[in-house]
Amino acid sequence: MKSTRLRVVTLLVIMATLALGSPAMAEKVLSIGIKSADMGILDPHLSATTANLPIMDSIFNGLVRFRPGSVDLEKIEPDLAESWTSSPDGKVWTFNLRKGVQFHHGFGEMTAEDVVFSLNKAANQETSRWWTNYKSFDKVEAVDPYTVKITLNNNVPSMFGLVLNFHGGMVLSKKAVEEYGDKFKLNPVGTGPFAFAEYVPKQRTVLKAHDQYFRGKPKIDQIVYRFVPVDQGRELAFTKGELDMIEGTKAEWWVEKMRKDKNVIVDILGPGELTVLHFNLTRKPLDNLKVRQAMAYALKRQEFRVLDGLSITEDGVSPVAPGHLGYTSDVEKYEYDLDKAKALMKEAGYENGFDLGKYVASPIYLRTGELVQAQLKKIGITFEIQMVDHPTMHKMIRNDVNPLVPYGCARFPVADVLLTQFYHSKSIVATPTGVTNFSHYGAAMPGVDDLIDAARVEPDTEKQKALWVEAQKKIMTDLPAYPLRVVYVLFARKASIDLGYDLETNISLMYQITEKTDKK
Amino acid sequence: MLSHTIRRILMFIPTLWIALTIIFLLVRVVPGDPTAAIMGDYITEEGVRTLKRQMGLDRPLIEQYFKYLYDLIRGDFGRSLVTDGPVIDQLKTALPHTLELTFCGILVGMVTGIPLGLFLALKRNTVWDYLGRFFSLAGLSFPVFYTAILLILVFSIKLDLLPVMGVGEDGNWGDRLRHLILPSLTLGLLMMSYLTRITRSSMLDVLGADYVRTATAKGLKRKKVIAKHAFKNACIPIVTVLGLYTGILIGSSVLTEIIFNRPGLGSLIVGAMQNRDYITITSVMTLYAGLVITINLITDLSYGFIDPRIRYD
Repeated sequence: MKSTRLRVVTLLVIMATLALGSPAMAEKVLSIGIKSADMGILDPHLSATTANLPIMDSIFNGLVRFRPGSVDLEKIEPDLAESWTSSPDGKVWTFNLRKGVQFHHGFGEMTAEDVVFSLNKAANQETSRWWTNYKSFDKVEAVDPYTVKITLNNNVPSMFGLVLNFHGGMVLSKKAVEEYGDKFKLNPVGTGPFAFAEYVPKQRTVLKAHDQYFRGKPKIDQIVYRFVPVDQGRELAFTKGELDMIEGTKAEWWVEKMRKDKNVIVDILGPGELTVLHFNLTRKPLDNLKVRQAMAYALKRQEFRVLDGLSITEDGVSPVAPGHLGYTSDVEKYEYDLDKAKALMKEAGYENGFDLGKYVASPIYLRTGELVQAQLKKIGITFEIQMVDHPTMHKMIRNDVNPLVPYGCARFPVADVLLTQFYHSKSIVATPTGVTNFSHYGAAMPGVDDLIDAARVEPDTEKQKALWVEAQKKIMTDLPAYPLRVVYVLFARKASIDLGYDLETNISLMYQITEKTDKK
Repeated sequence: MLSHTIRRILMFIPTLWIALTIIFLLVRVVPGDPTAAIMGDYITEEGVRTLKRQMGLDRPLIEQYFKYLYDLIRGDFGRSLVTDGPVIDQLKTALPHTLELTFCGILVGMVTGIPLGLFLALKRNTVWDYLGRFFSLAGLSFPVFYTAILLILVFSIKLDLLPVMGVGEDGNWGDRLRHLILPSLTLGLLMMSYLTRITRSSMLDVLGADYVRTATAKGLKRKKVIAKHAFKNACIPIVTVLGLYTGILIGSSVLTEIIFNRPGLGSLIVGAMQNRDYITITSVMTLYAGLVITINLITDLSYGFIDPRIRYD
């Protein structure tokens, strides 16, 4: 008897010790694992950190928004603006604001004054990282407390892209920015479904439901974003139940493993990351079109996809990623054909191949580089891979050291962005305006500058898209670069979570949490 | 003794200064800069230049060095180039987590390793000795990240007893302790292996010494011989190893912190390295160097207390 009692007491003590510190279960708390060591700042106009996107997405609104779960610019929804009109030439836009929208933490009603302040802030070099996107803004005026008029100098690729719930388009509380000053960066005040509550460096950011949210009170009481940079760490915490949602490991085996658990839903989403092999046209003999065509025919896209897994990738065929406004797959594809590749090499006078010298790659690009090396060797083209760490590689390829540059990225889904950054002559690396035009396309040979520039100011959407399609076709004919594959983003969530919207694509690189998202 | 202590303490400053200078230069000769981390990989060359000017990275290296040194002497660790927050704040939040973990790791190692080493020395060439040596060798051979994941799989996933990651809620000591158990065990097992082996071998050396034989011959009890005569003399190498491996343990804490997602100096430095946040890297590395130098100093000074021969030199 005595020993039984002792055992019970011991058991209770152990249970009490283990239960110590367990959080209270009264509130509906959603724990999300973010693939990052820390957060950075939460001023959407100043933050370029991917890890912050989902957090800011829940805090702020734009004048218009992507439908939750979609990034289709052609299916834009009203957000803070109820309706809008534009002049026939597309240069004057009038937005009618929703009435009664409340900012978080008692900062009052959102009015035209806040919108004007926010857009002017987004266009100012000192207060925004996105100011160049707003160079076409001539004037932003408050016609009355609920009407905003934007006058443009010239047309822009997508007006909605600039007033959307993303980066510079987010509307901030003027009063809060003025009151907090520099501290606004970590005390954001917006109108979104969730309000900022707490930030513990390198650990977590907590958002609380905004009860006065204009679309209704959120079903979730609290979101806890935890920063877990290591893939295995996130996965273990997710398996254990410490996290409800995570960004996954980009690999087919991971999807298969996760899907074995019935309580887990794995989502494979676009717009994916497009990897393109850029040929440096200033290096002989890469200036020879026949040589580049031979290389394109010798590269087998399927094998590049196998690196990550066929089910989470697709062939990259165009210099623009699928899902982008203006994308086309109707381009010259150069399907794998080794005989044709060899014949072209012979025609170009390089029957016995050639050596491209050294090529720097970071661990992330090593497998892709090795595959390019193996496939091109079949037509006699060789090069030596030199391993460096990732930031070093980024620096060196911008110093124009590589004959070939494989580069993967995901961008805002408008064709203009990828076309400008990678194929406009202004963007050639190692020049003052340089971005990521590694091939020197547009300078080493005539490019598509005129098409990109014309599309940017074309008010007619259909004509604009036609110009982007033409640019993609010309790029694939000139072949300054060869698209390899598109890798999708992977997320996993507990089956008990109802997102509250149809999930097709995602731009914030984590599930969006809206007022309708629920945890059962 | 006093002059020895003062001399050792004075050596601290030039050692730290040399370490700081090497760190400062090393992180800056590596290609890459923090602009990409701030602006994303689509920043223009022009943007890079503007940002570098704003951050003072366009100034000559020597000027940057003296500015950093001058600020540091005034107690200003600078601002992070990426988050723009004061580095001192980051250090203040990260350092306690690292110290807590390292301290608990050493504690686990000492509490288990030293008695085990003693036990093995006394049971020399028995099954216990072979088993103990085998496991301590295994403990040394297991990399920290492997031990950590093994512990998580057993104690968190299978048995569901302890949390996988984080440091727990501030102020909730029970929760913090629960979060500390597995990381401390990970480091503690490593320390235990070191200490078991060194305690065993130095005890064996001492047990064979003349004075131990004399002590036994004059009729002292075995317990007294071991505790007073043998163990005290075996302590010098144990303290040396303890000091030396505490430095190594601080290094191993980087990996442990990353696996258990503890926001200590380890995760701070890895993030800063990836972002090329020079100021943060230099400050954190200098702090690490300072910690290791301090531990070596304490170890050196403690010899004097343990061994009178050193004290009177």
